[in-house]
Amino acid sequence: MSTIASLQFWAFVGVIAGIYTILALGLQVQFGFTGLLNFGHAAFMAVGAYTMAILVVKAGWPLWGASLAAIAVAIGFGLLLGLPTLRLRADYLAITTIAFAEIVRYVAINAQGLTGGPVGTIALAGPGEAASYNRDWLEFQRSVQDGLEVVIGENATRDVTMLVLVWAVALVLLVVVEAAVRTPWGRVLKSIRDDEDAASALGKNVFAYKLQALAVGAALAAIAGLFFAFQFSFFSPGDFDPLVTFFAYTIVILGGTARNWAVPVGAVLFGVIFAGTRFFDFPPFSLLDSGERAYVRLIVIGLVLIGLVLFRPQGLLGKREEMVLE
Amino acid sequence: MSLLQADDVAKRFGGLAAVDGASLTVQERSITALIGPNGAGKTTLFNIFSGFIRPERGSVLLNEVRIDGRPPHAVNRRGLVRTFQTPRALRRMSVLENVLLAAPHQPGERLWRLVATPGSVRRREREIEEQARELLRLVRLDGLAQEYAGTLSGGQRKLLEFARALMTGPRIVLLDEPMAGVSPPLAIQLLDHMRTLREERGLTFFLVDHDLEMVMSVSDHVIVMNEGRVIAAGTPDEVRADPLVVDAYLGTHGRAVG
Repeated sequence: MSTIASLQFWAFVGVIAGIYTILALGLQVQFGFTGLLNFGHAAFMAVGAYTMAILVVKAGWPLWGASLAAIAVAIGFGLLLGLPTLRLRADYLAITTIAFAEIVRYVAINAQGLTGGPVGTIALAGPGEAASYNRDWLEFQRSVQDGLEVVIGENATRDVTMLVLVWAVALVLLVVVEAAVRTPWGRVLKSIRDDEDAASALGKNVFAYKLQALAVGAALAAIAGLFFAFQFSFFSPGDFDPLVTFFAYTIVILGGTARNWAVPVGAVLFGVIFAGTRFFDFPPFSLLDSGERAYVRLIVIGLVLIGLVLFRPQGLLGKREEMVLE
Repeated sequence: MSLLQADDVAKRFGGLAAVDGASLTVQERSITALIGPNGAGKTTLFNIFSGFIRPERGSVLLNEVRIDGRPPHAVNRRGLVRTFQTPRALRRMSVLENVLLAAPHQPGERLWRLVATPGSVRRREREIEEQARELLRLVRLDGLAQEYAGTLSGGQRKLLEFARALMTGPRIVLLDEPMAGVSPPLAIQLLDHMRTLREERGLTFFLVDHDLEMVMSVSDHVIVMNEGRVIAAGTPDEVRADPLVVDAYLGTHGRAVG
């Protein structure tokens, strides 16, 4: 059977899309609803994944405790980044967030004693020993898989189980974020996006709300980082390079800014292009080997984005009217 | 009683002294106008009063509490609200949402209260919505409540800002050219509303406008600025008769207005 028709293949694409849904949802809160240009989003994903792995391997924490701590640490990093920078104008904020993300990544590369260095988390326990942080996760996943088997039989593989778990969490988070932005709290975020001077003239503490948006986005990125770590059992600093942040932006723009339900749509489309094209075994993709396809997909993503901005700047689910309001 | 009081306030931008030791008083329940030629420092002074600019010197008292150097949102919570010369509509929010946003004391603006006390959030939201719709009726925007604020005309945005400002429950409203772009019949109605709000709710209005005829007819107190300083203050008649004012401001036309 060809790859393209197999359930396993689509399950893998779906897992990637699910992880990116959670990641991009954080950006939607920051950029789509609050107007913050955070170009360092991948760093929070990295902080989440690394904190969890380090606590499990080096401090012997149980996985769940380490995961909660990882989210808390990512929020802490969000506050740390926000306190000195959120008073900056949008473009300056963007520059400092890029710098922040690169600092995080370079620390991950160079602080080998803490992070395992450039080879990744496999070196967390020191040389000569292959470290693993997700024994507890695999056990949990196995038990979920056993439960799934009762329902869908032998289709319940590891990837399908992961697919169910990631999307269950992603949907819960989507519902929660959607509910939150419809409240008076969300109204304040949107007012800051539209005009922060007007918001502060009307008695809103703009700085405090930007900080909250940054913290919420950081927490969501950390959760995405955790799932990323669980899925791949091993990761390295290169997994969180700036490209990841731009993928998240691609998803938000692809789906439509300030539309939560556009995030999974954008993420699935992105997942198909990104993870999918590698395994597309029909022309024109079959003319290229899989290594070449790995690069072609970046070109495809770029072209899709350009085409979208040209022909549908509001994204797939966005409202065109909103784009022309001045 | 003086509600807003500025003493020797100064602010420079580079070599330009935008406000250069201005002192003034706005009486409670008055409609006070601030006039002066372009570049006299009126808008800078409004920015200082509303917390957007920190003065280099001097003090600003609101109801006998110092507010200079406090951030805009803190000044607003003490009862001072301002509008902008170029209206700041929240474009991608509905007209109604623009006004809802301005309401004070909505516990639902805090995440933990949304979870802890959803009932009080909903109750307050109902109150706010009723109040907001009433204010929109006042400025004749009730028919556009669900439209994006970004679709409004310049004059309609002025009106929206007026409604939004009142929604914050202020004691004093600073209006920066409130009537610019508003059709004359509606402008007259708004002036009537200002008088009514002053009588019924004890509100104070402090406005900058270039329409001298309107300013002189509506205000019970006029403050004249020139080159960063207050050069005259008094009733419209007193100010009209002041030779300094005629010279600095009205004198460019070679005659007094009236």
